[in-house]
Order: sequence, then structure tokens, then C-alpha cells
Amino acid sequence: MNYQLIIGWLYPDLMSTYGDRGNIIVLKKRCEKRNIEAQVKNITLETHHRELEKCQLIFMGGAQDRQQKLAGSDFLKNKGPVVKKMVEEDISALFVCAAYQAVGHFYRPYQGADIPGLGIFDLTTIHPGDQAKRLIGNTVGEIINISGMYRKTIVGFENHGGRTVLGSKIKPLAKVLHGFGNNGEDGYEGAIYHKAIGSYFHGPILAKNPHLADWLITSALEVKYKRAIQLEPLDDTLEWQAHEFMLKRLGVSHD
Amino acid sequence: MIFPLVLIGKLIYFISNTFNLGSGGTWPGEVALYFQPKILDYFFSQVKKGIILIAGTNGKTTTARMLRQILTQFDKGHYRVIHNDSGANLLNGLVSAFIQQSSWIGKIDTDWAILEVDENTLSLVISNLKPQTSNKQKVIVVLLNLFRDQLDRYGEIDVIAGKWSKALKKLPKDAKIVLNADDPLIAHLGMTSRPGLKAGVYYFGIDDTKSFLPEMEHATDSIFCLSCGNRLSFEGIYYSHLGIWRCEKCGEKRPEPDISKWSSPLPGLYNQYNTLATVIVAKSLGINDKQIKEALSDFSPAFGRQEEFVVNSKKIKIFLSKNPAGFNESLKTVLSLRARQLLFVLNDYIPDGRDVSWIWDVDFEMIPSNVKVIASGERAFDMGLRIKYSMKQLRVIQNLKEAIYSGLEAIKKGETLYVLPTYSAMLEVRKILKGRKIL
Repeated sequence: MNYQLIIGWLYPDLMSTYGDRGNIIVLKKRCEKRNIEAQVKNITLETHHRELEKCQLIFMGGAQDRQQKLAGSDFLKNKGPVVKKMVEEDISALFVCAAYQAVGHFYRPYQGADIPGLGIFDLTTIHPGDQAKRLIGNTVGEIINISGMYRKTIVGFENHGGRTVLGSKIKPLAKVLHGFGNNGEDGYEGAIYHKAIGSYFHGPILAKNPHLADWLITSALEVKYKRAIQLEPLDDTLEWQAHEFMLKRLGVSHD
Repeated sequence: MIFPLVLIGKLIYFISNTFNLGSGGTWPGEVALYFQPKILDYFFSQVKKGIILIAGTNGKTTTARMLRQILTQFDKGHYRVIHNDSGANLLNGLVSAFIQQSSWIGKIDTDWAILEVDENTLSLVISNLKPQTSNKQKVIVVLLNLFRDQLDRYGEIDVIAGKWSKALKKLPKDAKIVLNADDPLIAHLGMTSRPGLKAGVYYFGIDDTKSFLPEMEHATDSIFCLSCGNRLSFEGIYYSHLGIWRCEKCGEKRPEPDISKWSSPLPGLYNQYNTLATVIVAKSLGINDKQIKEALSDFSPAFGRQEEFVVNSKKIKIFLSKNPAGFNESLKTVLSLRARQLLFVLNDYIPDGRDVSWIWDVDFEMIPSNVKVIASGERAFDMGLRIKYSMKQLRVIQNLKEAIYSGLEAIKKGETLYVLPTYSAMLEVRKILKGRKIL
């Protein structure tokens, strides 16, 4: 029997700014190469939330402010509560950048009122002010809190003004080896809760981190088919060359 | 005291040129601005006829060059023009262009200044403009488009548009604003309902249903109404988010263009827009259709923009491709020219943007399976990875010289190797080809 997976892409035309589409391309292709039938369902403003309920893996990416506001009210009212329930039921999910902030309790801009989030993740984000430095650059983390990873490092690029602080009910995804991570202070990057990951490694985080992509696919299949699943290995030479290139450039020796 | 600053600037320019330091485009201006922040005012006030500012994500250089060609060549060229043609488009680049072309005491003898201006510098330049009403100095601002581009450096396009909107209100009544009707974000800047806008607004846009895309591309930005936030309806899209748009909810719609047809001297739909923008400006200056056509008949693009080299009877053509919208358009153009071998060169230095995530917004999937691809540049592996996931025939060759050489070997005599590089990569490719180091 072939496995089947429905990947839900939340707001592909609003929350998609920094090459976020890369994650969808990578997830789909890595499934197809293993004969896992992957279908991508675009969940837009107009999509009914019942369509979202059919998904077994969720992705939501970054956005510009105006687009985020447009998506934000729909997310808060319609799609978000569904996502919250799904995450609690161990559905795999990846929230990047603005989406990572949106699944927290609130985002506090440097002026104006707090923007409420879904509270799926126990975290809050505060923008420290107009003059505060944006946290921009290439970055490396060491995965913690996921067991059985065959490689520990993750590489990416971050570009965010908000500083995120985790609460007690959630764990960080990684330790920062280079760059800023959640807030540039506590040395942690991203968050993991049930089978859902949040990260500031924006855009195509999964392209150069195939182990993370495979963890999401495995988790999604295991929940759907209710048994342990071992994915067939793929030829990831180029993936790891791109990964190693960044480790080397940033002078991080690891693994 | 302007005189010593100009003198120092000219010396820097001279030294930089003599020793080929490659910094003549910005350093003279940088130094002059440090001592005299208002030096641009001083130069502007000497321009006899007027100042033309050109801004937008893609097409600034080509548009400025077309306009310069018309102004200097029509009727055997009686206008003198200053243009920052080195591509340096920050404040220091603009000042440098003036210093380079002024006399030793800072006097300028020019009719027009055509300035390509960086997205985030435009507001500053506009606030520097104090048109000389005594001699009826003209001010024209041309806004071509806004696409996502180097977000780590430029920021979000809505923020840029917001700054532009404020700056445009400072322009006087007799200034002209030339806007792209097909870009909802740009067109919105000129909506007559906008309070405080005094300058005259003119639109260019394309009316050609045959050029509509069969489906929307991925890298679209401004597809929601700027007035009410509703999703825009498109009668058709030419590329990215440029098309014939309207909002069903509040009724805001693409303005009727003042010009929509003109034969472009260069291939590519993006050059059609550049041409329309150029022509509407030229016409507004009283230059007639025949004069414009004649002046543009032998137009050749700037370096790195469809620039051609010949090596051993094989052609190499360079298409600068630095953001998703531009890259998609370059790809479409080279595929329509029946490319067989492509070379993508991805760098991540300051002029390219340090973040290479944007390559995942380019529609490489459009490349047919019989077209071969080589990925190179500082971020060759990242580019290669993107191509790998679009399932193309791929080779990754980090060394650029080797990559060019391999690309040439893979084609027959008479065929063309198409190179699509980011900005600094384009300079490297040219250096290799000009130095003929690979032969």
C-alpha cells in the first residue's frame, strides 16, 4: 500500500514572502521520491476550515505586515482554532517567522495595541522599538528536544524585529551556535510542542535541513497510520553540501 | 564651500580610475556629503531644464538609458544630460555623478539630470528638490514597479510605497509623476482621491490580452486591494502582480493608461514597460513620435542587461537576474530565444542581498526537461539545490571560470550560452569574459 499525505499550506498568497514555498516543494518532492502520494491543499482566506481538517501536515510561512494583518483576522477567527486542535492531536506542523509569532499568545508591536495570537504555543513576542536592531543574518542551531535525529545542526537565515520568549509549557527547538535565534539573548532558537515546530529560520528552512523535513513527514505518517514508520533514505549529497558550506563559512564545527 | 569638495571628489575619482579601484561611483560623493550634506541642492540648482528621477525594483537602468539616448540624440542631440550611469543610486552615487561631470570649481553645464534612485533613497532626494521656479525647472518622477527584492536590505515593499506616498505629496503642482498603471501598489500612489497630492499624474500600462499569463505566478506581492484589503480581481496578468486589476468590493481599479503601445527596442515584456515609461516622459517634453523612434532605433542595453559576448564563434548572453520577478522574466525571455544551456550564478554579497531564500520564489519549473542547467557562484550549492527540486538536468560547478567554460563546451558553434547572474556575479562574469581569462 502507498502512503498518502495531505499537506495544508496556510495562506500561500499572503503568508509567503521569503521563499516560503521552498518548504512545500521540499516536503512534496521528498514524499514523491518515496512513493508517498503527497497532495498540497492551499488554504486561503476563502477556504472553509473543514478543508483544513483533512490535512495531516500543516505549513504556514512569513508575511509582510499588511498581508499578515489580512491573514491575521481570518486565522484568529476561523482557521486558528482548528489548527490549535490539530496540533494538540499530534498533527505535524511547521510555523516559520510571522507564523511562528502568530501561534504564540500575542505580538506586541513597538507602537499600538498588542496583536493577539492563537496561544497554540506558550510564547510571546515583543518588538523592542523603532530603533532596535533587526536580527538579520545567516544562522546555525543545534537541535535539542527531538530524539533520534541523524544530524544535529540546522542552518538558515533569520530576519526579524520581534523578540520571542518561551513560556514554561514549551521547549526550544535548538541551541543557537551562530546568529540570534528567538531573542538574541537566551541562546535558544525556535520551539517544539507535540509534533509542531516553530522557527525564525525563514523561508526554505527545510531545503538545507532534510532531517527536519523527514522528521515532519515521519511524524505526520505515524499519526495517520498509527505505527512506527521508517522513511527510505534519499540521496541528499547536495542538501548536505549546501548545509556544510554554511557551517564552514560561519566557522561552526559540529557533528 | 563647495569648490574644495568638488576638487577632492574629482581627485578621488581620478585616483580610483587610474588605479582601477572601482570605487569612483560612490566615494567622491560620500566624502563631499560628509562635509556638505546639502551639496545635492547645489548641483540641482544648476540643472537648466529639469530633473528626472527614476525608481522601482526593476528597469531603472534601462529606462534611464533610453531616456538619455532620446534627450541627447533627437534632432542630432542638442540636450546635455547628466546620468548616474555607473548604477550607483544611493545619495553618494548621485553626488558622485555630478562631481564627475562638473568643472573643477563645481560648475555644471547640463540641461537635464536623469537619476536612477534607490528605493529607500527616493524620499530623501525628493525632499532635496527645490525646483527653480525662476527658470521653470521641471521635475519628473517615474515609478516603474515594486517587487520583493533583498528584503534584508530594502525591507517590505508596502513600507517603501508608504514612504514614497508621503514624499510625492511634497512635489509642487507643475511636477509630473509617471506611474505604472498595471502595478496596483504603484498605481494606488496616484489615485486622484489621495489628499495632498499636487503634482500631475500620468500612467503607462500594457493593453495586450495576448500577453496575459495562463495562470498567476507564485512571486506575487500586491494582489490585495490597497484601499480596502479585498482580494483583487485580474482580467489578466502580464507577470508577477502586473496586470489589469480591479477591486470588486470598493471599486478601485487599474487607471486608464495615457500610453499603452510602443514598439520596444529590446525583447521581454519588462522592457515593454521600460519603453512605455520612457516614451511618455519624452512626449511630455514635447519630443514627437518620429524623433523618439529615430533616437531609439539603435538603442543598446546597459552592461549585464542582455549583453552579448562572442567566444570561439559561440555566443554568451548575460541577463542580470536579481530578484524573483526579474528572474522569472529573464527565464521566460531566454526560453523564448530557444536556450539549450543555462548558467545560473548566485552570489550573496552586499549588492546581491545576503539572503538567498528568494530563489525558491522563482518558477524554475518552467524550464523544459531538454534544457541543461549549470549552477555556480558563491552559493552554487543553494542554487543547485533549488534546481534539483525542480527536477532539471543539473551540474553544480562552484568555480565560475570553470562553469562558463563547461557551459561553452556544452553548446555547438553558433549557439548561445545564457547566463543569469545576480549583480556581483554579473560583474564577475564580465570580468572573466573581458579579461578572456578562460581562453
